[in-house]
Amino acid sequence: MAKHDTPMLDELEKGPWPSFVTDLKRQAETHPDCWDILGQLELSYRDKITHWKHGGIVGVFGYGGGIVGRYSDVPKQFPGVEHFHTVRIAQPSGMYYSSKNLRGLMDLWDKYGSGMTNMHGSTGDMILLGTRTENLEPLFWDLTHDLKQDLGGSGSNLRTPSCCLGESRCEWACYDAQDLCHHLTMHYQDEIHRPAFPYKFKFKFSACANDCVAAIARSDFAVIGTWKDDIQMDQAAVKEYIAGNYPSNAGAHKDGDWGAFDIKKEVIDLCPTECMWMEGDELKIDNSECNRCMHCINVMPRALRPGKEKGATICIGAKAPILDGAQFATMIIPFIKISKESEYEEVIDVIEKIWDWWMEVGKNRERVGETMQRIGLPTFLSVMEVEPIPQHVKEPRSNPYVFWKEEEIPGGWERDVVEFRKKHAA
Amino acid sequence: MAMSIEEVEAAMIAKATKAPKPQLYIKDFYKCDPDRKPREIKNIANKLVSKGTLMFWSSGSTTMYALPSRIKDEEGDEGIN
Repeated sequence: MAKHDTPMLDELEKGPWPSFVTDLKRQAETHPDCWDILGQLELSYRDKITHWKHGGIVGVFGYGGGIVGRYSDVPKQFPGVEHFHTVRIAQPSGMYYSSKNLRGLMDLWDKYGSGMTNMHGSTGDMILLGTRTENLEPLFWDLTHDLKQDLGGSGSNLRTPSCCLGESRCEWACYDAQDLCHHLTMHYQDEIHRPAFPYKFKFKFSACANDCVAAIARSDFAVIGTWKDDIQMDQAAVKEYIAGNYPSNAGAHKDGDWGAFDIKKEVIDLCPTECMWMEGDELKIDNSECNRCMHCINVMPRALRPGKEKGATICIGAKAPILDGAQFATMIIPFIKISKESEYEEVIDVIEKIWDWWMEVGKNRERVGETMQRIGLPTFLSVMEVEPIPQHVKEPRSNPYVFWKEEEIPGGWERDVVEFRKKHAA
Repeated sequence: MAMSIEEVEAAMIAKATKAPKPQLYIKDFYKCDPDRKPREIKNIANKLVSKGTLMFWSSGSTTMYALPSRIKDEEGDEGIN
């Protein structure tokens, strides 16, 4: 029996698509507090303003992340949502849950929270929506002791690292993304659980350029698997594709009416660097021009494979905010060896170089990509001790001025700034 | 001469006491000892939290530091802002 009249929300139950209003009403049958979510949302629709308040003293002892405080600004009217905090649970690497683990988490949330979840948040955590302050410590105890899971990151912390399923299932994996993700999660526990930075910082690990976790679009530090040598090629299999004996894209589009496979149209003409061509019935690739996008490999997986010298490209500075506009990451390190034997020391060195600089020069609430944009790529590259290469440049320069540093010019130069300023005021 | 940990802690507590707003970003503490790296300042701040001298305060999107007494004055014991 509904506790509040919700005529506007009821409209959202009409039509063939799933409705969160229907889900909430179903949930309210066992968690009556959920009626107050509907009631408050209806009021927000009527008042055209949110009735949620964020923030405050919310968390579990010793942690400065993982819980996002949320309160109702009309608690007398809707006591069920007076406190409605969000709990972020760190997801396992590659999001491999057992059904037993999922049932355990749901039982826990039924006991301490509203039972409502968001699977998953954009960082990858499992989001549990709606609990009271006094439930946080008992929930945290059960979560860590019974389910052996931990809270994720929030606020100006290192956010819960996330990765693709990597070598566990994918033949394209160029490094063990799950192991690197797990290793860095353990290595940076303090940064995940306690505020450390000017603003949030996200790691994402994709084991190949197909980038299944969208690292290049959504993480401050994207580690994307790649290779250094030539694409491995089986010319006999190329011929089978051309003859139509092997389905393109491993049969992913076989139900569509695409016509016969056309290697020129579907592979060669779509190569972003135009580094492929046919010589007779042989496919040729100028690997020095290839940017490892993997399109050709995806289309002809039995004929082409990543090279043998594998590692990763590191791209820095992506963000996907609602207000200020999305930004892709910038490729900074074209190739780095990902070595389990050295406990990923090479990757850790890069991370800490970025952090040391960003913590110093980044403004409060400024993502590292925004700091890079404000300070400029040349300065960022010198901070990272990376030599600029043509691939760092997006397009030929349109600005005719070239600024040289004295140490970049053989012999340098001598300049009396005081004398110069007499004629040219700053 | 470099400041000792105790001196930095004292400077951070003084900063948290006198700052116009009770909630401070970690960056606000950097000047308490400009010779230390930001990550060292962060570690000292987090030690002060584990001792209960400072506390975390969440704005929802950013976690800040504060003296518990100043937050209680501002928000009351319930911690509802």
